[in-house]
Amino acid sequence: MYDFHNVALTPTQSLLLNICILSVIVFAVLRSERRLDDYNPIAMLGVLAIFGIAGRILLDPIPNFQPVTVIVLLAGIYYGAPRAVALAGIIALASNFAVLGHGPWTLFQVAGWGLVGFAGAFFADHLLKDGRLQLNRLAGLAIISAFAFDWVVSSSILLKTDVSMLAPYLLNGLLFDLYHAVGNLVFVAWLANPLGEIMLRHRVEPSSQSVSEVVTNR
Amino acid sequence: MSDNLKPLSVIAVIALIILAPAIRDALREEAATYVDDSESSHDGLPESWNDTQVFCVLFPDQTSHPKFTSGVTMIEQDGSTLGTNSEYNGTGACAGGFSGFENGLDLMDAAVNSSGTDLVYNLTEFSFGLQIDSIGGIEPCDATECSDSSGAYWALYHNGGTSLVGISDIILSEGDVLLWQIATW
Repeated sequence: MYDFHNVALTPTQSLLLNICILSVIVFAVLRSERRLDDYNPIAMLGVLAIFGIAGRILLDPIPNFQPVTVIVLLAGIYYGAPRAVALAGIIALASNFAVLGHGPWTLFQVAGWGLVGFAGAFFADHLLKDGRLQLNRLAGLAIISAFAFDWVVSSSILLKTDVSMLAPYLLNGLLFDLYHAVGNLVFVAWLANPLGEIMLRHRVEPSSQSVSEVVTNR
Repeated sequence: MSDNLKPLSVIAVIALIILAPAIRDALREEAATYVDDSESSHDGLPESWNDTQVFCVLFPDQTSHPKFTSGVTMIEQDGSTLGTNSEYNGTGACAGGFSGFENGLDLMDAAVNSSGTDLVYNLTEFSFGLQIDSIGGIEPCDATECSDSSGAYWALYHNGGTSLVGISDIILSEGDVLLWQIATW
């Protein structure tokens, strides 16, 4: 019997296969999102987590090119820092534990992406005006976030070496930082608006929270 | 301007693909300036190897290499054994007397060839570079118990300091010493 599981793929074939799988996931997730009730941010965070985990694992063959930073940044803008940090933790832990390798660096990745989520929430008023994303500003912050995230994760070498190693270590990672920054620019340019429109539909408006108390007639 | 973001992102990708090799070479050369000089890293090695390039592998005590069981065996370029230094801090082998190698992986391949099959290695190619899985048949987790939260790897040292780049990215000078040793996390 022919053993189909013995077929060896070249790295390029593997990458193309992964992009196909990611496209199917994106399509299926977008279709399923239409069936969600409006104002369901928790379900939307689940959808974003699937995006992030699948994107990070399937795009692993391209160094430092993954959608997680932009997804967490958008989550910070639309849903605030706490949910963005939770999303960062779920994506980092799940993708590392399942495939990419779990270790002390996972904590630094959560901290790095958490910082990105905080930045998104902090600058939300400048990045989202009248429900429209300010793409140029978002692209600028996404590029800065790439370097900030990488440098937070790189600081994990201080667990093993002294501080004098940090500067040359960061310098040597500069090309990978550029891969990340350009990847973020690509994801902002092509994904931020469609993702933002979906996230906006599931954003709990602050005004709706303030009417949560029971009102009685007198 | 936001309408231009899509074409701009495509241009950025193309520019990075074109410039990446030049950036990588520039960073490799910059990394070479941070490497300590090779003088003290020759301590314990044969005097005849001074100012030559040397490649060493130290095996952990918990694992027994079939051939290198005590001290450090010194192997010449032609494969002959120069002797064993039982006072060297570790157990393993060094191959030395090389010169003219500019890339770390080229020196490693030459040294492994001179040892016959005793230092043969396996590697995995990742998007970020090469990872050495085993040397001389010894895998890192043979030396220590690996779990979900702890593990081990073959760590690379260049002139006694932790290498800032992978074996295939190391730029060598005359007299440099490369050393592999299992480290844990």
